[in-house]
This record gives sequence, C-alpha cells and structure tokens, in this order.
Amino acid sequence: MFDKTASCGLIWDFAISKSVDESQRWVLSTMQRHGQELVTMLWRILGNEQDVCDAYQDTFLQLAHYQGRQKPEHIKAYIFRTASNVAVSMLRRKMAEKRLCRTIAEKPDARLYLAKQAQNAYPLNQLDSKHLQETLRYCITRLPEHLRNVLTLRDLAELSYAQVGRILGISEGTARVYRYKAIQLLAVWMNKEKKADQ
Amino acid sequence: MISKNKNSRCGKIKAWLHRVAGSRLGLDAAWVQKHIADCPKCRQRLALLGRVNLALSMIKSQPHSLDLLMRANAQAIGVLRHSLRYSPKAHRLKAVRPEPKLWERCRKYTHSVANAAACIAIVILMKTGIFSYMNNVQTQGRNVVKHYYAAQVGQDMADDMFST
Repeated sequence: MFDKTASCGLIWDFAISKSVDESQRWVLSTMQRHGQELVTMLWRILGNEQDVCDAYQDTFLQLAHYQGRQKPEHIKAYIFRTASNVAVSMLRRKMAEKRLCRTIAEKPDARLYLAKQAQNAYPLNQLDSKHLQETLRYCITRLPEHLRNVLTLRDLAELSYAQVGRILGISEGTARVYRYKAIQLLAVWMNKEKKADQ
Repeated sequence: MISKNKNSRCGKIKAWLHRVAGSRLGLDAAWVQKHIADCPKCRQRLALLGRVNLALSMIKSQPHSLDLLMRANAQAIGVLRHSLRYSPKAHRLKAVRPEPKLWERCRKYTHSVANAAACIAIVILMKTGIFSYMNNVQTQGRNVVKHYYAAQVGQDMADDMFST
C-alpha cells in the first residue's frame, strides 16, 4: 500500500516537474528570438556593457517570475517595456551618482584634475561626442514615461511606428506625435544643458 | 471583399497623402528652406533639432563588442531555474553571436540577383518576342515571293522552286 502511494507520488512529482520545464521553455525561446534586439536597445540606452548584462538579466528574471511563472500574452511588448524601464532606472541611478560626484568635485583643484583625467582618457573630439551622448541619455531619463517609451522603442530599438504602437497599445499616429514631442523637449533641454556647461 | 478593396484603396490614398505632405511640408521643401534662410529663430530651432539627431546618430553608431550577446545570455541564464540552465538550448544561447538580419545578409546578393533577372528577362524576350517575330517576317516574305513567282512563271514552277 505504502509502496503504491510512494510510486504514485514519484510519478506525480515527475509530471509536475516536466510540465514546469515545458512551461518555462518559452523563456529561452524568447531569449533566442528577441535577445539580439534587446541587447542593442540596452546598449544604446546605457552605453556600458556590464550595465547591459545586468539590465538584460533583470529583464529575463522578471519575465521568468511573471505572475506565477506564466507566459505573458504579448511577450515582445512585455520584455521591451521591462527592459526599457530597467535600463532607464539604472541610468537615472548612475546620473544621480555622477551629479553627486560633480558637486563634491566643485573645488577648482578637483575640477582641473578631473578635466586633465578626462582629456588623457579621450582625445578632444571624442570627448565632445561622449559628452553629447551622455547629455542626450540624461535628457532621455527626464522625459515623461509615455514619450520616453516611444523614443526608446522607435529610435534606440529601431522598431517601426506600427510595432511601437502595438507594443505600447497606442495608434501609429499617436506614436508619431509622441516622438515629435519627445524630440522637441530633448532639443530644448539639451540646449539648456549646453548653456549651463558654458 | 468590398471592404478589402476599400481598405487597400484607403492604404494607397494614405501613402499618397504622406508623400505629398512630405514633399510640400517636409524640411526639404523649397519654401521651407527659403524661410529658414531668412528666419534666425527657425534656423536656431533647426540647429537644436539637428543636435538631437546628431546625438542619436552617435549613440546608434557606437559598436559594442561581438561577445556582448553571449555574455548577456550567459548571465541571464545563470539566474534561471536549474532545469533551464542546463538544457541544450541554454548551451547554444551561451555561445550565440549576433547575426545580421535576413535582408542584410541578402543585400550582398542583390546585384547578382538583379543581373541574373535581367539575363533571364532578355532570354525570355528573345525566345518569345524577337525570334517568333523574325520567323513570322521570314515566312510572310517567302509567301509573297512564292505568289510573285506563281503569277509570273506558273504555280507548278513556283512549287518546285520553294519546295526545297
């Protein structure tokens, strides 16, 4: 009697583990299908390879634990939005840290030292390019969520307006309008940053 | 069926409207360029937008190392369930490298495909059009000459002459 119960239990456990394995296999399929696009988008948002790996890991961890390990209905929409949010949160944290460092290093001696260090690390034209990219990244983190989502998906993930609309649940026309507004805001903010730097 | 036709017509009109609006209202339109040349405020606005576009292009053109996808996959797989971590698919993903998209891979063959298509088109034209036309001309000419000889020297002689 006991043997029979034990064997039934084993079969039941085996069945459960097999079904969990089957149900979680889509995580790897998603990684295979969308991994490359996600890495490209994260790289463009973050600009640092270790941060890209961390954000990518966070995204798939969230996907694997989505509502009791269930597969989301619109998986592409879910991972792109999650990845974008994770990346922007990381970027915001980094920017805040940098700002803090800058306020600490406000003393003239420290400023001179930092400027020399930066010039040694990159030639002057590369420094300008890096600065421009950093400024844009900082401004992107300040955008309202709906505008930022469209901008990251359209310009950094290079998805079509139709795909962006489908992912965010808005129409193609709305996506175009949001992108236009985002670019206008970025232009104004980047100009302010430039003036502040001068 | 009717709604399908209507939709396709709507799509065509939409595309046409975009094209027309783009040519008349886009930055390349002559009147816009002329205005920008005269208006300092618009010039400044354009310069600001150009700066954003430049920064976006710079971000897009920055390459990452080739093994980034591999490393990202390995790190992400490392925190998944044990059974997924050691599956054959996971092993493949840990060694995957970025591959160009299908249309990018096909782009290098476009010239050869275009050349081959042109050759095939010429062959088809020669086979169907030019050769059959030439044949027609030849047979019609032959018939005319045969008629002429039949009228001049008689049908029998003409048949003899054109039978060989």
